[in-house]
Amino acid sequence: MKKIFYLLFTIIINVIYAGIFSPQVHAQQDSSAVADSLLLLEIQQQMQESEASQSSSQTTKSKPQMSSVRATSANTNPKISVIGDFRSMYTSEGDRNFDAFVHGVEINLSSFIDPYARADFIPVFEGEHGELKAEIEEAYLTTLSLPYSLQLKVGKFRQTFGKINRVHQHALPVINAPIAFQNFMGEALNDQGFSLSWLIPNPHFYQELVVELTRGPEEHPVFTTSTRNIPLKLTHLKNFWDLTDNATLEFGMSAAFGANQFGHTSKLGGLNLTYKWKPIRYNRYKSFEIQSELFVSDQDLGAGTDDIRSWGMYTWLQYQLGQRWFLAGVYSYSELPTDNTFTEESLSATVGWYATEFQKIEFGPQILSDNGLFNAPVFSGFLRWIFVIGSHGAHQY
Amino acid sequence: MKISRSFLLLLLMLTFGHQAMAQIKIVTSLPDLESIAEYVGGDKVDAFSIAKGYQNPHFVDPKPSYIIKLTRADMFITVGLDLELGWSPQLLQSSRNSKIQKGNPGYVDASENIPLLQVPTSTSREEGDIHIYGNPHYWLDPGRGKIIAQTIYDHLVAISPKDEAYFTKNLQAFNDKMDAKMMEWKKEMAAYKGTDIIAYHNEWVYFETAFGLHVVDFLEPKPGIPPTPSQLVKIIKEVKSQDIKVIINSPYFSNSSPEVVARNTNAEIVQLSTMTGGYKPIRDYFDLFDFNISQMTKALAN
Repeated sequence: MKKIFYLLFTIIINVIYAGIFSPQVHAQQDSSAVADSLLLLEIQQQMQESEASQSSSQTTKSKPQMSSVRATSANTNPKISVIGDFRSMYTSEGDRNFDAFVHGVEINLSSFIDPYARADFIPVFEGEHGELKAEIEEAYLTTLSLPYSLQLKVGKFRQTFGKINRVHQHALPVINAPIAFQNFMGEALNDQGFSLSWLIPNPHFYQELVVELTRGPEEHPVFTTSTRNIPLKLTHLKNFWDLTDNATLEFGMSAAFGANQFGHTSKLGGLNLTYKWKPIRYNRYKSFEIQSELFVSDQDLGAGTDDIRSWGMYTWLQYQLGQRWFLAGVYSYSELPTDNTFTEESLSATVGWYATEFQKIEFGPQILSDNGLFNAPVFSGFLRWIFVIGSHGAHQY
Repeated sequence: MKISRSFLLLLLMLTFGHQAMAQIKIVTSLPDLESIAEYVGGDKVDAFSIAKGYQNPHFVDPKPSYIIKLTRADMFITVGLDLELGWSPQLLQSSRNSKIQKGNPGYVDASENIPLLQVPTSTSREEGDIHIYGNPHYWLDPGRGKIIAQTIYDHLVAISPKDEAYFTKNLQAFNDKMDAKMMEWKKEMAAYKGTDIIAYHNEWVYFETAFGLHVVDFLEPKPGIPPTPSQLVKIIKEVKSQDIKVIINSPYFSNSSPEVVARNTNAEIVQLSTMTGGYKPIRDYFDLFDFNISQMTKALAN
């Protein structure tokens, strides 16, 4: 029994060690301390492989070398991009019907920290009606080499809830996030803590399970930062299928539990479904996407008071007319998570013109109606101009 | 006691099982790298390309299903030079596979040791979607294909030293075949040396250099910018004044702009492939040049 315990202990140490440190670091360790263990066996094996590799590379005719051109790019500066989001709008409600303003400026800084992790920093300047407020939207480290297909993220990050919570606004195909998303997620569920993702070894389709533990967001319609030890616990299961070379389907399930503004706890559930069609030969010219998300919340108000149970949903369609032209439409219905007697509905359309992948102009109308606050529907018209400089990589598929 | 031994054996298998590799699993960004890797690696490798031969290599969607392939890979081969900037870094990061991250033998930048063309002296997006390290379409020169093969060979030997002799034999066979085919292709193209042509996108500089063609202009006014009416008017004038016979297009670009030029001139649209698998007959890296040379010579002979 003692032997089995010792064996298990050394295996666990071995696995953690193998995931975190490189073979070179292994070779530097004092092997006598762990003599006769599986760790030593692996060290020996890796050293043998390393020696064999060295001897063989001596006999290789040509060694890989960086060309002089690439050497100039070998620096440690992070990749930097800046994204501007300018908007103009007209609305049928209020005294000031017309406005033009910088809605946001986002700076992306990303780089490898070392061979084991990378870091992303995203400070933003956000605002409405001319005033910009600086904040760190995201700042996190992502590991690259944990064993068993695990990936850990620590810091402040947009959480893995549903489909569009992790997508920055400038990358959405619609000018304004759907009203259900705004009501249940605010600007986004964006919190500080840990996120552990596991690629489930499913041989048939892609499955990823994410578990997150964060301190609780300061500004959110459903959750808040607790003064007690009530962190926000979140889980998301992503299922993804390649239906054909040109079509994909994604179905996700999310759940979160945390403190609410009433001094008790709330539950938030979500389902998301996305179908994309994009012919890979002409993927620059045609595409179609339909996406839906459902949000359900249950807010505990304490003993003697009924919970507030609310729901909301949206569906959007996006169709690419040509290389530069996109059409999108969104319908959204939502109750408020804090008041399920108040409901809102919105319908909007967006026409997008993409000059290049670094600049796009979008415009379109929106109708917003509710069952209480405004007696008549509010009509709005929006224009959004997104522009990017620097190196900006791909967004989540 | 028997149970303890079985348990021990099971744990050992779980711990070290991953090191017993039957074949080296290779994921490549483009099918040409897949084909070359298969020539050099032979039956010791199992290769898979993310991009299809008829897909624009600049714009590949980073689908999660590719992450699964990368998670299990022993080697990732990339064209590099930021050709796949829009999709491969995200896939690599999501793979959680340290073997194929930059700096390890399993990460192969095929542009290592490639003499590059069109390396800009200054860079600005004002010039369109230019590549700051140089034109990345270097696999379209068979000579540079040999350098790619050598680079892949070096990394294969580093990963599996015991198979060095096997890889060496395969590399030699690849190079011998390439030398023989190169003589054949050059002979076929000799009569058309210096011929002026028009192309859709700036992706043929290595091909034109290898076979003595001369791309006069592009339908795209600047790299990555769709053809504009004024650019097409300019091209039509150039085709007429210089008596250009051929406009080359790739499988993933629309034919509408080349057709506008062809309708207004005597030029013929020739469909070439930039990658293995671009058209059905192109099953491997050698077929790519067989197909392109055959298409070019047919059009130019007319």
